[in-house]
Amino acid sequence: MTDERELTLTVNGTERMIEVEPRRLLVHALRENLDLTGTHIGCDTGNCGACTVLVDGEPIKSCLAFAVQADGSEILTVEGMEELPAAAGELHPLQEGFHEEHGLQCGYCTPGMIIAGKALLDENPDPDEDEIREAISGNLCRCTGYQNIVRSIEYAADELESRAAADGGTPIDSTNSSSLGATGSEGKSIDCGLENCCGGPGVGSGDHDDGGSS
Amino acid sequence: MKAAPFEHHEPSTTDEAVSLLESLERPTILAGGQSLVPMLRFRLARPETVIDINGIDALDYLREEAGFLRIGALARHADVADADVIAESYGSFADTAPLVADPQIRNRGTVVGSITQADPKGDWGSVLLAHEGAVVAQGPDGERVIPADEFFLLPYDTTLEESELVTEVRVPTPDAREGSAYHKLKRKTGDYAMAGVATRLVFDEDGRIETAGIGMTAVDITNARARDAEDRLEGERPSSALFEEAGELAAEESNPESDEHGDASYKERMIDVLTQRALGDAAERAGVVKRTVSP
Ligand SMILES: Cc1cc2nc3c(=O)[nH]c(=O)nc-3n(C[C@H](O)[C@H](O)[C@H](O)COP(=O)(O)OP(=O)(O)OC[C@H]3O[C@@H](n4cnc5c(N)ncnc54)[C@H](O)[C@@H]3O)c2cc1C
Ligand code: FES
Ligand code: FES
Repeated sequence: MTDERELTLTVNGTERMIEVEPRRLLVHALRENLDLTGTHIGCDTGNCGACTVLVDGEPIKSCLAFAVQADGSEILTVEGMEELPAAAGELHPLQEGFHEEHGLQCGYCTPGMIIAGKALLDENPDPDEDEIREAISGNLCRCTGYQNIVRSIEYAADELESRAAADGGTPIDSTNSSSLGATGSEGKSIDCGLENCCGGPGVGSGDHDDGGSS
Repeated sequence: MKAAPFEHHEPSTTDEAVSLLESLERPTILAGGQSLVPMLRFRLARPETVIDINGIDALDYLREEAGFLRIGALARHADVADADVIAESYGSFADTAPLVADPQIRNRGTVVGSITQADPKGDWGSVLLAHEGAVVAQGPDGERVIPADEFFLLPYDTTLEESELVTEVRVPTPDAREGSAYHKLKRKTGDYAMAGVATRLVFDEDGRIETAGIGMTAVDITNARARDAEDRLEGERPSSALFEEAGELAAEESNPESDEHGDASYKERMIDVLTQRALGDAAERAGVVKRTVSP
């Protein structure tokens, strides 16, 4: 009855196998079986959103799903943000936004906020303030008053847009975790990380030394 | 707390699920899990077996067919919010979907799961009542159609048998002169209702109300119909005076309890106001009246 089941999860682009009891929650599998403690547990009842992850591109609360239900799925946790092509080997624009706009204080809610923000920008790259507030309405923050979180997500939207423009109009973050994978680092070939540099047609000849214009 | 250990089954057809329900010890169905998972974790439910129906692709639909809007057991709240057919002709469903919980929960939770959960604070039960809809259940002896009025018994208790699987909920497709709406009062985005009202109005050729449906959320031991208010409306022409009377009757029929969010008399007053607003929207959406004043 407490038989363990073998599951295959593709987490942040890497295929992982775990053995868990059917009653194991996805959030516990991520944190304890896979040692990915970026996904937080706040309320345990589905109210706070700290445990938000993307499963096959959709944001869900990982404290309200059993790990067995995610068998065969692709999962993105906050740890995977830096691996996304848009991060260009550094911080993802969303992470940068929370840093630049002071989108956090204690940081407990931040992983869930970033993932909720990611889900929004994948669907709607140019959200207005109401749409941002709606997208994070399942995520509680006890510290910031939300204003700076909204600004952080706006920052990321602007940043992603300007990088896409610099990239010749092709969005460089191809919308969901399926763009990840063992080949994730190849994303760098379309963006060297320097603004207005080697980004595509019409952006100059890719002279790295010239990248300091910003 | 962790859920107590359980056996986990993943049938891929409805028949398989029903035979599992019949043959296994103390089974429970897992749909979106947005109500069940917390109940298992607090051990308010302790089933021996959990039958996860998410692999039954045949239950994943939302369509108009044979005179009904049919919502399959795997249609999520988010699917209702996104469906074109809902935006075009089902005002109450379009109003309700974005008001249920929050985006993450709407991606997982199902309309059928919510109705089967029979939480008096659940939003969809009121919509189903206002539309005189039905719950379709599959059991060992075949299919059964349970009218919404006969479905809810007590909080978290319905007339569904233990060995029955709900395959869909359905409501009649709207007439040409029909409109519906849902209004909900809550403290903040994502909360359950303090009070909610679903309305449906069908008009005859003369512009009189032929059929009125009113379902109320969070103000009785189950989702409840406001029958006196419905009776008052039927046969009449819409007017703000008439809707005011209906609002008062609905408030009288409600039985809210005082709690930390407000006392009973406040909630009654809110039912009055929400009923008037939802009737106004329904009438306007039916294309029969153009509202000049909103209550
Ligand atoms: C933080 C939070 C906020 C919420 N806010 C709201 C809100 O504002 N409004 C609202 O209405 N709800 C709200 N809910 C409740 C929740 O959205 C719904 O009750 C939920 O979506 C139920 O659907 P489910 O598919 O997740 O059902 P599950 O949790 O999987 O199941 C619920 C119950 O129904 C049974 N069941 C499910 N499907 C079937 C079937 N096909 N046949 C037979 N039995 C079945 C299960 O066995 C279980 O007893 C909230 C929940 C949370 C955690
Ligand atoms: S821990 Fe999952 S929503 Fe709070
Ligand atoms: S920063 Fe502390 S909870 Fe959000």
